[in-house]
This record gives sequence, C-alpha cells and structure tokens, in this order.
Amino acid sequence: MITQIVEHASEHGEAVQQAAEHAAEHGESGVGFIMHHIMAHPVIKLPTVYGIDLSVTNHVLWMWIVSALLILGFYVAFRKPKLVPHGLANALESLVVFIRDDVIMPNLGHEARAYAPYLLTAFFFIMLCNLAGLVPYGATATGNIGVTATLALFTFFVVQIAGVRKHGFLGYLSTFSPPGIPFLLKFIMIPVEVISMITKHFALAIRLFANMIAGHITILALLSVIFLFKNWLVSPFPLAIILFSAILEVLISLIQAYVFTILSAVFISASVAEGH
Amino acid sequence: MELMTPAGGTIFWTTLTFLLLLFALTKVGWKPILSMLDEREKKLKESLELAEQAKIASQKTLAEQNQLLETARREAQEILARNRKAAEATKEEIIKKASSEAEQLIAKARREIDLSRDKAIEEIRDLAVELSMNATAKLVGKSLDAGDHQSLIDESLKKLGELN
Repeated sequence: MITQIVEHASEHGEAVQQAAEHAAEHGESGVGFIMHHIMAHPVIKLPTVYGIDLSVTNHVLWMWIVSALLILGFYVAFRKPKLVPHGLANALESLVVFIRDDVIMPNLGHEARAYAPYLLTAFFFIMLCNLAGLVPYGATATGNIGVTATLALFTFFVVQIAGVRKHGFLGYLSTFSPPGIPFLLKFIMIPVEVISMITKHFALAIRLFANMIAGHITILALLSVIFLFKNWLVSPFPLAIILFSAILEVLISLIQAYVFTILSAVFISASVAEGH
Repeated sequence: MELMTPAGGTIFWTTLTFLLLLFALTKVGWKPILSMLDEREKKLKESLELAEQAKIASQKTLAEQNQLLETARREAQEILARNRKAAEATKEEIIKKASSEAEQLIAKARREIDLSRDKAIEEIRDLAVELSMNATAKLVGKSLDAGDHQSLIDESLKKLGELN
C-alpha cells in the first residue's frame, strides 16, 4: 500500500515537475498539475489541416477504445439474437430496455423507433466515456468541451431534422412563432424561441462537461494535497475522500449519461410535438 | 482559457467517431435488439392471448360437462322414480289380482260346498224315505197303497225336519 502510494507520488512527482514549467504562468504548482491531467494531450502527432490540428489526443484515443468495446460487446452479445437472452446479452438488453421504456417511449411514443438508435448510442457512448476516466491511465473524453459540444451539436441537428421531418421546413420554422400572440409580441417571442433552442443545447454540452471535469478536478485537487504537504503520511486522509469521490463519480457518470439522453429525448419530443 | 475552448481536432474526431459508432451499433446492436424485443413482446402477447383463449375454452368445456352431468343425473333420477312408480303399480296390481283370485276361489269353494251340502241333504232325504219305507213295510208287514205312502212320507219328513 505504502509503496504503491510512493510510486504513485513519484509518478505524479514528474507530472508536478512538468507542471512546474506551467507554474510560472499559473502562479501555483497545483493548478498546473490538475490542468495537465484534465487537458487533452496528443498521443499521435498528426499534421494540421486547414488550421485544425488533427493530432489524436488521449481523449480521442479513449473514445476509440470505448467505441471498439461497445461495438465488440454488442456484436458478441447479439451476433445470434435469441428470444431468451443470457449473460452479456441479458445485461446489455436490460440497459437497452431501460432506456427504451423509461427514456425514449415516454417522450417520443410511436416515433420512438426513428430516434432510438441515436439516443441509445448517445447513452452508451457517454456512459462508457464517463466511466473510462475512472480506469487507471484512462481519460474522460466527455470531460473535454470539444467532445460534449459535438455531442450536443448532434442532438441539435437531430432535433432540427426531427422538426423538419414532422412539420415540413416552413411548418417547422412556424413553430418558432407561437400562435395566439399579438403581432408586436412576436418581435420578442421569436428571438426568445430561437435563443432558447440554442441555449438548451449549449447547456447540454456544458452540463456534461462540467459534471465530468468537476469530479476529476476534485480528485486531483485532493491528490495534490499530498504534494502540497510534501509528506506522504498525510495521504490516508485525502485518499479516503478520493475514494468517496471516485465512487460518487461512478454514480455521476451513469446519471449524466442518463440526463443527456433524457434531455435529448425531451428536446426531440418538443420539436415533433403538435401545436407547439 | 484552453480548457473551455473546443479544439477543432477534437470536434472532427468526435464527429467521425460518433457517426461511425452510430452506424456500427445500429447494425450490430439496436436493430437486432429492438426487433428481438418487438418479436418477444409479440410472442408474449400472443402466448397470453392463446392462454386466455385456452382458459375460456376449458371453462366452456367444463360448464358443458357440468351441464351434461347434471342432465344425466336428472335423467337417472327420473328413470329411477318412474321405475319405482311402475314397480309400485305392479305390486298393487299383483296384490289386487291375488286377492281377487283368492276371493273367487273362496266363492267357488263356498258354492261347491253349498252344492255338496244340498246334494247330501237330497241323498239323505232319499235314504230316509227308503229307510222309513222299509221300516214301515216291516212293521206293517204289507205294502201300503200310494195314499198311505204319501202320508207316511210326509210324516217322516216332518219328523226328520224336527230332527234336523
């Protein structure tokens, strides 16, 4: 136990030394250490195309690992679909049924079938990405604002497509102007509706990102307490709280994946709703 | 601040990864699972309906059988009652017949008895006449004429009547 902690400390000691370079910018060593751990850093260097750095970061790498696990898991479990599932198929199926019956069906009803693949993919992808950060050497892709923004954009586009599919292009545009409102109020209401449409997806991205990053920052901040004291004898205390935080993060990982999925379902259902 | 700025590379890779994942999982996961779930629900519903139908059918059969049983029981009771009544009637008839026959027999016997008695009386009377004639002949020692005869007979009969 103690040697493990010492190893851990020395391992992170390097990180602290690395972070010391940042220390001049940030003014304190802890911040650099935390930033080093929550920021994406390139694993495979790739050239910059049209001003976009295509380097594969650890977040992207973990996204790939998670995706590969998901595809492999579902492929193995449902290669030969049986009427009565066992083992892995049963476990995955219970999650799918949970999302279908508690998230998708209540919100989308008979339109569920069209949007189920997107919502299910989002749920499983986000859940595993969240949990990946709790694995040793793992990284939380959903703790990257770029990833959550992209996911929120996906939901945004699905919502727009759902609306257009349901009401037609002009019909969908008319939903931004609620009926039964005096003409002059429309100058206020239409911008409000448009802003609301953008804000809720923006909030979707920030919510997931902030929840994931906050847990990591908490854990890393508690970990840097050991280095601030420069004495590993204090380590049991932060480690106890870190353990608690880590367990809490497992819970938050599941909850945030659920929240993202249910909010996406709600946005889609609002978009396809009649007489909006 | 770098932390809050979405990196173009990340967005590019996330978009690509997520789209591929969406297609791959739809193919290997969602489609088979959702259709299997539908199929299972359909099958479950069908099974339930089938069970319900079987239940109704069995209930109907049971009711029919109960009714049949009830009918049979009633019929059996009717037959029993009818037979009992017939037996009773037969019994009565036999008894009546027997008693009437007995009465007839008795009557016949009585008639025969009466007849025999009358005959016996007749014979006795003849015998008495002969006897008295013989006795008279012996006593008188000669034959009497018809007038005497008659008076004697009458006298004897009178006496016999008194005896009787």
